[in-house]
Amino acid sequence: MPGTVPSEPLRSRLARRRLLVVTGKGGVGKSAVAATLGRLLAGSPAPATGQPRRVLVFEVDPRENLHQMLGLPPSGGEIADAGGGLYLQNLKPRQVLDRIVAERIPLEAIRRRVQASPVYQQFAEGAPGLKEVAILGHALRLVRGLDPDAFGQKFDLVILDAPATGHGVSLLAAPRLLSEVIRRGPFGEMGAELAEFVADPEQAGIVVVTTPEEMPVHEALELRRGLAERLDREPELLVINAVYPPFPRGESPGDDPVLALWQDRRMLQEREIERLERDWAGPRLELPKLPEDRGPELVATLTRCLERELAAWR
Amino acid sequence: MALNAPGTPLLGDEHPLIVVVGSGGVGKTTLAAALGLTAARDGRDTLVMTFDPSLRLKDALGVGEEARDRPVPVALGDAGEGRAGEGGAVGRLDASLLDARRTFDRLVERYAPDEAARRRILDNRFYAHLAGSLAGILEYMAVERLWEVASEGTYRQVVLDTPPTRQALDFLEAPSRIVGFLESGALKVALRPWFDDAGRLKGSSRLGFLGRRFESFLDEIVGLDLLRDMAEFFQAFEPLYGGFRERARQVEELLRSPRTLFVLVSGPGEERIADTLFFARRLGEAGYHLGPIVVNRVHPQVSGPLPGLPEDPCTPDGRALLAWLGERDHRGLAHLRGLVPQGRPLVALPLLRREPTDLASLEAVGRELLQRLDRAGGED
Repeated sequence: MPGTVPSEPLRSRLARRRLLVVTGKGGVGKSAVAATLGRLLAGSPAPATGQPRRVLVFEVDPRENLHQMLGLPPSGGEIADAGGGLYLQNLKPRQVLDRIVAERIPLEAIRRRVQASPVYQQFAEGAPGLKEVAILGHALRLVRGLDPDAFGQKFDLVILDAPATGHGVSLLAAPRLLSEVIRRGPFGEMGAELAEFVADPEQAGIVVVTTPEEMPVHEALELRRGLAERLDREPELLVINAVYPPFPRGESPGDDPVLALWQDRRMLQEREIERLERDWAGPRLELPKLPEDRGPELVATLTRCLERELAAWR
Repeated sequence: MALNAPGTPLLGDEHPLIVVVGSGGVGKTTLAAALGLTAARDGRDTLVMTFDPSLRLKDALGVGEEARDRPVPVALGDAGEGRAGEGGAVGRLDASLLDARRTFDRLVERYAPDEAARRRILDNRFYAHLAGSLAGILEYMAVERLWEVASEGTYRQVVLDTPPTRQALDFLEAPSRIVGFLESGALKVALRPWFDDAGRLKGSSRLGFLGRRFESFLDEIVGLDLLRDMAEFFQAFEPLYGGFRERARQVEELLRSPRTLFVLVSGPGEERIADTLFFARRLGEAGYHLGPIVVNRVHPQVSGPLPGLPEDPCTPDGRALLAWLGERDHRGLAHLRGLVPQGRPLVALPLLRREPTDLASLEAVGRELLQRLDRAGGED
């Protein structure tokens, strides 16, 4: 892979990034993977400072669900502490946009007028790539320590649980798009700055999540092609989530319908995993489907599984 | 809340249009195709309109990329367990794939009064971004196609699959949202402080201090280049507004008709319940007619002794995992049954050992659904 040092372990390569964008088709378990990556990478010493690494998982979904994974109440937009150096924030794209505008316009009366004006409304809803840039921009400010709500504290890493709708590629291509459309102003500048940030594999990495099923795998492969074509980037990692345990070799399900279901479903999955092995160059890890409801225990087990998979990769 | 009357079959002349809705990844497209196939086998000329079907489903139906341009007939043959319709004949099944960009371009071509107007739209850089990225465009295109089909009236049954949005009602609101966005009046008002009729920036000397500060901040944030582009874009679109508005109104009427029935598909598991209920409630509130709720891919319940905890938590025993999934799905189903209003048909479809890969297995899914619906109706 271009731009990476082959000898460096995958785990430390991931941990060195300032932003990891977790993306994939809806329903594949992006939130579980984002929480698990966060749990795994938080708390260990950051190479630059030697201090425990501070990681923030950033969710952009009107229906919050990451807090459940981490055993927290809904945060309502504030940064919540999940312990062990892991933090969580949920924001809506429009909130992010309004915050950035608010900072640029100190005069309350004018700010209200700007935000209420139909031109701004049309702009906020209609400008291409604007919401995506606001989301990425917020992440960038968190790692640079520029977010006023973070009390001046920097995060070593932000893990963005990308919105389910829309393509991951559009999210990452948005800065370039916006900076072409708007050349000046806070959003134009932010677009240009982010385009650079997102293009730098040392700073920003992309984690693609899929389940071993036809449509999610298809979308994962498309995502990879799109990233290469439009951004000249390779994903850092592919996580194949919710994999059934292998069916015991040499055993036959007989007339047990449960064993037959296990065998057949596992076989369907293996076919998709083989397809990924063929078409996906670069790190590719599997996470098991576990008999556990979503919550901190699930994340704890998945963290152990991911840790092991990371250590075993090449 | 509007219901399909008890005893009314899902497929029949009472509901010439069936709209399959639900979150992504729950098997909507497969169910839509299965219903369409079953309707055709029962002797009704049917069209299935779908977004982005899997390769497996396209293969099962035997249609390729050509279905993006026009409805393509599915070769039904005479395999399968089809009960032919009253006259003994199997109906026709056509499949159509929805492609946002192509439909949009086609629309511009149809409504632009002349070549110059057409070029002004297609060449505007804002259009290039907008057509690809404005939320809801895809959904809007679906209803455009739906309108075309409905106004031609060639089919007795149309089954519409909907795009996989998480907020799946986006789809239904897209026409009015986009028409609102393109509304010439509103935009002219919005842009009036900035541009004169020729699209040139107006002087702002007549504004007071606050006004000038307002303008300079707005300029700083929005950027006048973008505004000028947007203004140009909307001006270029002006001749099209009339047609857009009228069609959006007619599509809305069609979707709200009591003859249009919505089938809500959900995945199993308790975490899906809130979504499903939310969706069902919003459909009702918005005046659409919700028929059955289908909980798809439910794991079977497992009885008998189970192995204890595995040595390695990352490799659970498959039987124990499936037993847990079966328990989880039935827990969720029971919970959902308790929350769904009385009289609303709710059926569960089991997770199959294999996904349908041919017409016979696809039809089996459709028949299974209809049978379970019959039984669910009989319980009331």
